[in-house]
Amino acid sequence: MTKIDSERTKVAVPARGKLPSVKRIGGWHAIGPIVIFLAILVVVAILTPAFIGSGGLAIIASSSAPILLLALGQAMVLNVGSIDLSNAAIGLLGAILLALTLGPVAGLSPVIVLLATTAFGAVNGLIVAYAQVPSFALTLGTLGIFQAVALVASGRTTVYVASNGEGVHALYESGIANVPMTFWMGVLLAVSLWVLLRYTRIGRGMTAIGKNESAAIFSAVRTRSLKVLAFALSGFAAGLAGIAIIAQAGSASPTGLGSDLLLPAIAAALIGGTSISGGVVNPLTVIFGALTVALVPIATTAVGIDAQAQSLVYGAVIIGVVALTMSRNKSSIVK
Amino acid sequence: MSDVTTTPAVLHLNNVSKSFGSNRAVRGVSLSIQSGEVIGLIGENGAGKSTLLKILSGNYRHDEGTIAVNGREVQFRGPADALRVGIGVVHQEQSLFTNLTIAENIEVNTPIGRGGVNRLGLYNWRRLYADAAQALDLIGSHLNPKTRVSDLSFVDRQMVEIARAIRVSAASHTTPLVILDEPTAILERTETAILEREISKLRDIGSVIFVSHRLDEVMRICDRVVVMRDGELIADRAVDDVTEEELFRLMVGRETHAAVRSRRSIDPANSPVISIHDLTRAGSYADVSIDAYPGRILAILGTSGSGRESVARAIFGAEGFDSGSVSVAGYSGRQLSIKKAVALGVGYVPAERKTEGMVGEMPADQNITLTHPGSAALGPFELPRRRLSLARAWFEKLDIRPREPEHMLQDFSGGNQQKVVLAKWLNSAHLKALVLDHPLRGLDPGAAETVNAQIRSVCDEGTAIILIPDTIDEALDIADDIVVMRDGRISGVFDLGHDNPATLDLLERML
Repeated sequence: MTKIDSERTKVAVPARGKLPSVKRIGGWHAIGPIVIFLAILVVVAILTPAFIGSGGLAIIASSSAPILLLALGQAMVLNVGSIDLSNAAIGLLGAILLALTLGPVAGLSPVIVLLATTAFGAVNGLIVAYAQVPSFALTLGTLGIFQAVALVASGRTTVYVASNGEGVHALYESGIANVPMTFWMGVLLAVSLWVLLRYTRIGRGMTAIGKNESAAIFSAVRTRSLKVLAFALSGFAAGLAGIAIIAQAGSASPTGLGSDLLLPAIAAALIGGTSISGGVVNPLTVIFGALTVALVPIATTAVGIDAQAQSLVYGAVIIGVVALTMSRNKSSIVK
Repeated sequence: MSDVTTTPAVLHLNNVSKSFGSNRAVRGVSLSIQSGEVIGLIGENGAGKSTLLKILSGNYRHDEGTIAVNGREVQFRGPADALRVGIGVVHQEQSLFTNLTIAENIEVNTPIGRGGVNRLGLYNWRRLYADAAQALDLIGSHLNPKTRVSDLSFVDRQMVEIARAIRVSAASHTTPLVILDEPTAILERTETAILEREISKLRDIGSVIFVSHRLDEVMRICDRVVVMRDGELIADRAVDDVTEEELFRLMVGRETHAAVRSRRSIDPANSPVISIHDLTRAGSYADVSIDAYPGRILAILGTSGSGRESVARAIFGAEGFDSGSVSVAGYSGRQLSIKKAVALGVGYVPAERKTEGMVGEMPADQNITLTHPGSAALGPFELPRRRLSLARAWFEKLDIRPREPEHMLQDFSGGNQQKVVLAKWLNSAHLKALVLDHPLRGLDPGAAETVNAQIRSVCDEGTAIILIPDTIDEALDIADDIVVMRDGRISGVFDLGHDNPATLDLLERML
């Protein structure tokens, strides 16, 4: 068993020659997500032509909103080389809190919910960064905790918005180009995160952590604060997802809409070109990842797979995408 | 071409080529190695050495040409095939299982049923230990095979790797060909001497290909030296017919032009930038006091147990200490953090370039601005266009090739990567001190010379440099002050402005 050093397996570059012009990660991560979405869309359009005609795209976009929001948060955490298994649970807890508080405090309620979910995320981040608990183990634990809190807070039943629900509901009812505002909220967040990653030192630092944490530490990048920020952003995005759930359903329950978003959101982030091993993310292509995931139930029905087996499709897609895009010269495990 | 011999060559390459896309990494290499020969293989980074070794070890398949071992043509489908015919590679970065015993590591590649592992895959411990001891004995090592690898020093681990490389051929009764890929790159001088002795023992039982960047070593150890440049084997000389200077010229394609550094004594009017006082870290170093002055290069010499790397890391805030003080530019704190040290104007070039010094999968320009954005920053933002032009300026100034800062840093050669790491610190507007931990490690002589030139010019601009050199010669070549450490304590201080220590003086204080 000979261990091969990653650097040495690569093509030797003559010191004075040209460097390889094709960027190693270029292809898939840039256009792959869009290609996959379009490919599946074409299949669906051929098998069920009525779908496209009857505003199917708008339906996909609206149903993808919570997935997109969660996937964006997940992508930020994956980018710093961690994973957040608790974000869907935080989102659902946020939805329940929103349903509970909209009556009493009205307009303040979404603000409170976003502050709370951001804080939940930040606590995850603080424990990962400072107590150095691997994020996989930590967020698996907090996933259980947030689920329990959601059960207790909701009294194990569906919580309906008692009053003042109109404003939030309007996010789903009103829209641009027949697509509800909840989806555009996701697009806006994606663009903001894209700017953060591409044009700010904070974003550069986050990516550096994901690609090589030791080098980031030795380059005086504020690795701990940036990890906390990534988790806090994931919490914030989960809070927005909670708002989107209430906007769509008008109620929240520990077993209702949004209770099984973890797998689809991770799938959306990965199909959207996010690297599971960190350091590669493009929030804009994550939009197409989320759209693809929202298209999966329709596509599976069109192809004739039982709707019960959707989770199987998400699972298979996650494994497939990671197998295709994993950079194998980096043998690090997901922390 | 070799003479007609009665016994076939241990290894015979005929016109071997290997391309990656349009890049012809190895072009028409022909080479013959006889039993008992020690061949030095030298060349700049990117000259094709690694690719050639990977072909020999079965990791790559060659596109053209033939390889014959003991007169029989072979086709390697994987590393196991190469091992079976007796070719064992000792990689530069060690690949031992540190949680297992020496014996288990040595036997790991031995085919089942031949050694200490029976046909059912079960260990026969007595046999395992005996076989491992025999393999160690062949190279004259007396390590106990029951020892865990994690308890071994670096040079002992290298012994275990060599034993493992020859073990397979011993099991299948073929003559071993051991390939040592830069085994001495991170060894201290004394350890190198031990390794040299072991290599000469290998001569009795097989042949050796020795890859190194240290030309003096190659001249001492080898019978014959082959030089690669741009994928081709451009020279094949007996060591008696060639000089170090000639080898350098063949490798790099130009003459050496290292100027002798003119030195002055410490100016009493100057105050030190970095002043460490009675610094102690239990089990690592004790009572270390060092002053580093602006415009001077201070080299810390010592063997691997001297604690000098830990001292360097303490100055950068990367490792803690128990007592004493580090003061940087007038600031003196109990413990320094990396962030604090950087804010005070300290930079650090780590020995582990790929894992600690650079983000290989990031473009070179982003690596340069990672710590100090300089003119690329606009508030919290960083403007890609400005960053690129800033990086271009550094590429020009430090002669980093090729001039394509938008490319991933991992695609550059070692010397150019190291210059990018340097640029990352030089981009600071207030750089006061630079700590360099083995800055030339793994660089070929040509690249090392240009990096050294840059270190000198940084120093001449008024930066204090603290250098952990690879060799004594490197210190004598470039330093203004030399501090020698032994077992965690300072055993000698020289101001080269008026002291003129001989290599032997320094070596004596190291041991």
